Amino acid sequence: MTSFTITLANQGGAAFDVDHRKPLLQSLREQGVDLPYGCKYGGCITCAAKIISGKVDQKAQRALNNRQISNGYIILCVARPMSDCTLEVGVESHDKLYRNPFLDPLAAHELKADIATPLEAKK
Amino acid sequence: MTNHCCGPGYASPAEAMTAPREKLLYTIAIYTGTGIQKPDYLCTIDVDPESSTYSQVISRLQMPGIGDELHHSGWNACSSCHGDASMERKYLIVPGVRSSNLHIVDCGTDPRSPTLFKVIDGAEIKARTNLSAPHTVHCLGSDIIVSMLGDAQGNAPGGYLQLSKEFEVVGRWENSMGSIKFGYDFWYQPRHNVMVSSEWAAPNTFMPGFDLEEVGHLKYGREIHFWDFEKKEPKQTFYLGEDGLIPLEVRFHHNPESSHGFVGAALSANIIHWWKDAAGDWQWEKIVDVGNEPHPEWPIPIPGVISVILLSMDDRYLYLCNWLHGDIRQYDISDPHNAKLTGQVWMGGLLGRAPEVNGVKVTGGPQMIQLSLDGKRLYVTTSLFSTWDNQFYPEIRTNGGCMLMVNCDTENGGMEIDPLFVVDFGKEPNGPSRCHETRYPGGDCTSDIWV
Repeated sequence: MTSFTITLANQGGAAFDVDHRKPLLQSLREQGVDLPYGCKYGGCITCAAKIISGKVDQKAQRALNNRQISNGYIILCVARPMSDCTLEVGVESHDKLYRNPFLDPLAAHELKADIATPLEAKK
Repeated sequence: MTNHCCGPGYASPAEAMTAPREKLLYTIAIYTGTGIQKPDYLCTIDVDPESSTYSQVISRLQMPGIGDELHHSGWNACSSCHGDASMERKYLIVPGVRSSNLHIVDCGTDPRSPTLFKVIDGAEIKARTNLSAPHTVHCLGSDIIVSMLGDAQGNAPGGYLQLSKEFEVVGRWENSMGSIKFGYDFWYQPRHNVMVSSEWAAPNTFMPGFDLEEVGHLKYGREIHFWDFEKKEPKQTFYLGEDGLIPLEVRFHHNPESSHGFVGAALSANIIHWWKDAAGDWQWEKIVDVGNEPHPEWPIPIPGVISVILLSMDDRYLYLCNWLHGDIRQYDISDPHNAKLTGQVWMGGLLGRAPEVNGVKVTGGPQMIQLSLDGKRLYVTTSLFSTWDNQFYPEIRTNGGCMLMVNCDTENGGMEIDPLFVVDFGKEPNGPSRCHETRYPGGDCTSDIWV
């Protein structure tokens, strides 16, 4: 198996070796990390974490809009690591996850992937 | 007067109104999305004014795991089974919207301290029915159906889960979803062979929070559906358009002969009324339009966001909550075509009209409500849904939700917040939690349907 090291920046830099084939939520919980989660199918955002460095495959997620993705959010219940990663986890990492939708609207390219207008296509 | 020879509930809405006053409430409280790594739980609240623990949580039943997001709930039996002496209103079905787990809670053995009887695992429901995200629970006289807002991957429209009275998964209830795009709430009126269902959005759309732009991209509902109840398939759809953006709670008159019903369109902040006309055709109209309110810091006026509506047992009053404005309204709907505003109270909300009530800072706005069978006491909670709370009322994370009681004048109309009743969920033993739907052991104004 290929394994990567996941470092949790807001849990004292604790590091865990994880299987690249398994979702990060599952790997980290199996090693005793107490993380929030909800739907376990990538649709509900409860398990969102912020990626500080590294790369994941989270094609299966449906919860994040493009602004949340560009702010570094990943959905741990479906994201699989593609490299060593450093993450912030839990609601402490959610400072940019929630916004008042009336006060701070999304631009067309910041919507969820299935309805976003790519920036290049706008002109 | 309760007829002891029969099953649960009451022979009629009029008989329900004469039931003894409620002494206990069951209210769900959540930690999902709050940062507190504890399970959501069912609170038992003492509402007997003669009791030394009046207005306090007297027991807490934790769910087995974290992350359910308990939301709505429903009884295993109601007045639908009044003629069946073998049935008993004993078990509360408490779904987790996010986990899809269904918790079957025994409230009958010790009503003051309910226990967990059974859990139907969300994974089993997804595997056997391709459904997820349970919402509304109604008993059909024996079996139970639950509106499920998504398929097993969280896509709309979902469908209806059928459970046996022994709480075994039977399968899908409906024979067809027709062209329905989304699910949410439902209510039925068997003597007209009709069920009406409303639309929120796909779980993958509403669970992460509210992106306003997705309304314009048709990711949220704006239709209501009239079903052939016996054939279990949709028959007619009303497109409500801009008047009916995000139609949520569905309420028929309690009178089983009546064809009148109502739905609250949350984002349009309208009440839509429907009825069957003399020719036997369904008609609809808008009877209440809550105007948007200006806010000094907002670029656009704030919509009310009608998160819930409810009818009194005698079908005379309609109550609604404007979760963002912060008011609860009482309308006299004796003439259902012509709703008259008869009462209004304020608690929390974004307009700042009543930031503190009974010594507690109200974070959130009036959200779920439950009315006593006699129509005189309305219990109100303030949290809507964890992710939406986090967007509109982020301080709820540290303040928690609260429950208040409103005294309702059933003779002349009018409402007043009770000065002695408040349950502050900010002071719960495991930290601030958020309260949502409430049920009464003896049935309430949204639990019982007469067949």
